[in-house]
Amino acid sequence: MMDEAIAAPIAEYIAGAILKNPKRAIKPDEPLISSGLIDSFHLVDLGLFVEDKFGVRIDDSELNADTFDTLNQLVALIRSRQ
Amino acid sequence: MLATETSPPAATGRWVLDQAQARSIGLCVLSVLAVYALQPAMPIRQMDFWLPTASLVLTVVVWAATSSALATHRRPDRATLTDAALIGGITLGIAALRFAEPLSMLITRTPPPAVLSVLAALAIAALLAVAAGCIIGPRPAWTTALVIALVALLFVLKYEPLTQAFAALLRVAQGQSAAQASALDVRWLGFSYICFRWIAALRERALGRLPAMSLREFVTYAVFAPALIAGPIDRPERFLRDLRASFAFNWPDATEGVRRIAVGAFKKFVLADWLALLALNEVNAAQAQGAGWMWLLVYAYAWRIYLDFGGYTDMAIGVARIFGVRLPENFHRPYLKPNLTQFWSSWHMSLAQWFRTYYFNPLTRALRMRAWAVPTIIFVGQVTTMLLIGVWHGVTLNFALWGLWHGVGLFLHNRWADFAKGRLTAMQERPRLQVAISAAGVLLTFHFVALGWVWFALPDAALSLGVFRKLFGL
Repeated sequence: MMDEAIAAPIAEYIAGAILKNPKRAIKPDEPLISSGLIDSFHLVDLGLFVEDKFGVRIDDSELNADTFDTLNQLVALIRSRQ
Repeated sequence: MLATETSPPAATGRWVLDQAQARSIGLCVLSVLAVYALQPAMPIRQMDFWLPTASLVLTVVVWAATSSALATHRRPDRATLTDAALIGGITLGIAALRFAEPLSMLITRTPPPAVLSVLAALAIAALLAVAAGCIIGPRPAWTTALVIALVALLFVLKYEPLTQAFAALLRVAQGQSAAQASALDVRWLGFSYICFRWIAALRERALGRLPAMSLREFVTYAVFAPALIAGPIDRPERFLRDLRASFAFNWPDATEGVRRIAVGAFKKFVLADWLALLALNEVNAAQAQGAGWMWLLVYAYAWRIYLDFGGYTDMAIGVARIFGVRLPENFHRPYLKPNLTQFWSSWHMSLAQWFRTYYFNPLTRALRMRAWAVPTIIFVGQVTTMLLIGVWHGVTLNFALWGLWHGVGLFLHNRWADFAKGRLTAMQERPRLQVAISAAGVLLTFHFVALGWVWFALPDAALSLGVFRKLFGL
């Protein structure tokens, strides 16, 4: 799967379901967790979304800015598990 | 990620150590010695030897229960026996210093117990480790039993009436009067932090994510000298990565380490200790007359606790850095955050992350699967997590109220953020307004946190309410 095919639905999910602003563009290198854009509750939701959508497991210990903080890093994590 | 099936680097069979091996052994020896050397004296005889020994014994037991290699081969290999001999040898060596008084004072505050008693304790420790390895080792799900036992012990040490009963028990065991027992008799150095590292390893093992660690590596992780007193609480996998990385002493790391130590010492011993003279406590809370003075005491406490704890952390990170271990940061400008959610992503970060990983995230995931209403999940998750963080400091009403204060604060911020999200998008096109709102958020968040310290700093809820009344002129 191409990176864009992974990034696009995640960006759409973050903008629509988490930020409640579907028009909001999520930049590939924009800090999502360390900036406070995604809080701890929605981070779990994002993990569940990724697991459902791409069939990869994101551990509870990986839901933090050290493991992934940007869309690019999350895409890389998903690709490494596929 | 370190593979869970990867064994630790095999012994080369040569008696020549490279710098990485020398550092690994040196850090283990240093950490085991620090467990004894940093333990303060207690009124109960020889407890400054027995409690550190108990820390090491429990560490070995947890290692045996979580070691995948031990569970597979059912017997310790040569490297494990060498590591056990090293750790047991240090303990025995410290006990043997009683024959070379006053040399024992270099390590323990009071003369250590008889060598025969220590030998018997080590034999019991070996039996416990074998039992843990045989019973729990092959059944990772059974690690939960050990987690429950450790949490129960932590509760005993955090809940004053139980700590006092425990002190009475120890006094009787040492032939002292139980009538004199006090909760202050049992000051188990670093237990809260070591215990959370044990639990992290046990949970990771239960979930099949714990990398294979040698006994020496695990002991170094659990009682790592720089982080023994006040954290940070590292994750096993991350710590192991640094410990196994090739190491050569280098000036940039050493210089940065020394800089962090100097900054930390200045924060702790100059700024925090000076602010301690002014910071809110039981005595000056009663003496302060006007609201202005009371606010000054609260501000001083807020900065003292940050500079004190932040200073300790800087020093721990600095010392570890010299040895090539990059401990996780614990603070990131917490008083400059525009909301409480971001404050808790930058205050005591390693503890908050521990609770997110092993409590909040699994709980939220489970409740999400049960399709509870979102606000209910957030309320339950935030409030119970913060209550637990509160009572981790001590099982008292005031620590619980401090946790509740932050839990409810986090929930309210979450609801406000959720409400504002869809409505305040126009604000993004007005940068000046955004800056003004952010500045107001920083001020509001700082004051919410500072007022929260009124619960934390005082031993009694009535005293805290009295301070609130004075602060607001009620």
